Amino acid sequence: MGRVYRRICFLRFEGRGTEATQIEFTELKEAVDAAKGQTPSGPEADSILKRLLEEEGERVADAVAFAEAIMPYLPDHLAATQPALSPSTLGIYKGLKDGPRPAGDTRTVADFIDDMLAQDRPRAR
Amino acid sequence: MTTATLEKPAPAAPSLAPSAQANRPTGPKAACLLMGLDLGTNKSCVLAGSPGSSDITVSKVVPSVVGYVKDGIVDGIITGNAKVLFGEEALRQMLHVELAVPLAEGVISHPEAARDFMLHLRQLADPSGRSEIRAVVGVPANAGEQAREAIRRAATGIFSHILLIPEPFLAALGYRDDARVRQPGYVDPVVNSLFIDIGGGTSDLCLVQGYFPTRDDQISIPFAGDAIDALIFDGLNRTYPNNGLSLITVREIKEAHAYVGPSRKPLEVKVVIGGKSRTLELGDAIGNACNALIDKIYPALTALIASASSDSVVTLLQNIIVTGGGSQIRGIDTVLQKKLADEGYESPRVRLAGQDFQRYVAMGALKAARAARENQWQVLLG
Repeated sequence: MGRVYRRICFLRFEGRGTEATQIEFTELKEAVDAAKGQTPSGPEADSILKRLLEEEGERVADAVAFAEAIMPYLPDHLAATQPALSPSTLGIYKGLKDGPRPAGDTRTVADFIDDMLAQDRPRAR
Repeated sequence: MTTATLEKPAPAAPSLAPSAQANRPTGPKAACLLMGLDLGTNKSCVLAGSPGSSDITVSKVVPSVVGYVKDGIVDGIITGNAKVLFGEEALRQMLHVELAVPLAEGVISHPEAARDFMLHLRQLADPSGRSEIRAVVGVPANAGEQAREAIRRAATGIFSHILLIPEPFLAALGYRDDARVRQPGYVDPVVNSLFIDIGGGTSDLCLVQGYFPTRDDQISIPFAGDAIDALIFDGLNRTYPNNGLSLITVREIKEAHAYVGPSRKPLEVKVVIGGKSRTLELGDAIGNACNALIDKIYPALTALIASASSDSVVTLLQNIIVTGGGSQIRGIDTVLQKKLADEGYESPRVRLAGQDFQRYVAMGALKAARAARENQWQVLLG
């Protein structure tokens, strides 16, 4: 349950609220229901659950703060160890969340598939 | 270990397992056939056609079930003394077979049955078994790599090339009327719409806004037709203990009477229990179970609406489309629309996809197969 909640907190820090909501409705709810099924219910159990979730939220906040502290040093390190993203890949991601494309911007189905494959690549690594 | 795939065609055919060799085309130039496949938890749809044409040569909806014939069945009981039956035939012979369901919650749960079922679908599309088959297969929104890998593994040796694409996007593509895309006034669902695809295992919601939906644009909820069946089944057993009705009968009752919204009573259903005809009052059991679906999908619907840009959201609200088996639940469009309107959303319009609801994903998959570039296919190495 802690692991699932940490993921939710992290997604929210990343601004991926929809994905976080999805996990909250599914995985977290199942984990909470399972935990409640193993312990007597009541105010004490609710308080323990609340404290646990708060602690996990704080852990994620600390981790994010640490990541922000080391971020300035990462580009040099990554430049030395990772190949650069190709301009075409960057182009695919650019503007993805800018809302619907304007009329007249006709994209083919193959272009959509390219978008999808570009999204899948980081996951497959 | 993952199934070996390439994003470009292999220069020479790799070695195949014997069973796979039997299904591969023989001779120097096998014809290519494209398949659009919607692998559903309860029903699957297969469409097939040649590349370079818009004709659909095969269009079938098959219950996603495999029946392995039990030992000791007398000759002649099963047509052709077949050892494995599929779809309607397996259900008709359920007394004589072990039924296996290849998918649960939209993903493969029984690999052997999934492989046999896929082989059956291939045979429906290509009875001669001589064509090279390239298949676009729908996967639930947000399906993980493990689920995708299970499909590739089941398809290896059955299809030569494969492409896995999320189902809600395929539904939008299938629903799109290509002949009208450039006509004034036509609202292209691929440009700005929100699809709610309610299947057997999952309900998938997806924003489609002219680019391929990102993970943030899709929500998959593991609550759909099967979960409603289970709730009705439980409700029925509470009200009418020891009724002896099977889940299959409960599903048939649901398909005939499902509704959402205020309680519809009396809703009397005639069933046969222990050989005697009885009339059961199922208004509450069915209504409560189906309304649970609304409780699950409505928060996800509003979460996706909230994530749309302010420039697009008014048009988006006019273009919310419900498809999949769940679109047959009476009142689902009006209940969702009313909830949105009651909460102050601007002139929402929720529509049902229509009579082809079982085929839109496969139609989109076949369109994608026809449009895919050579380097977008994954080659399945047996």
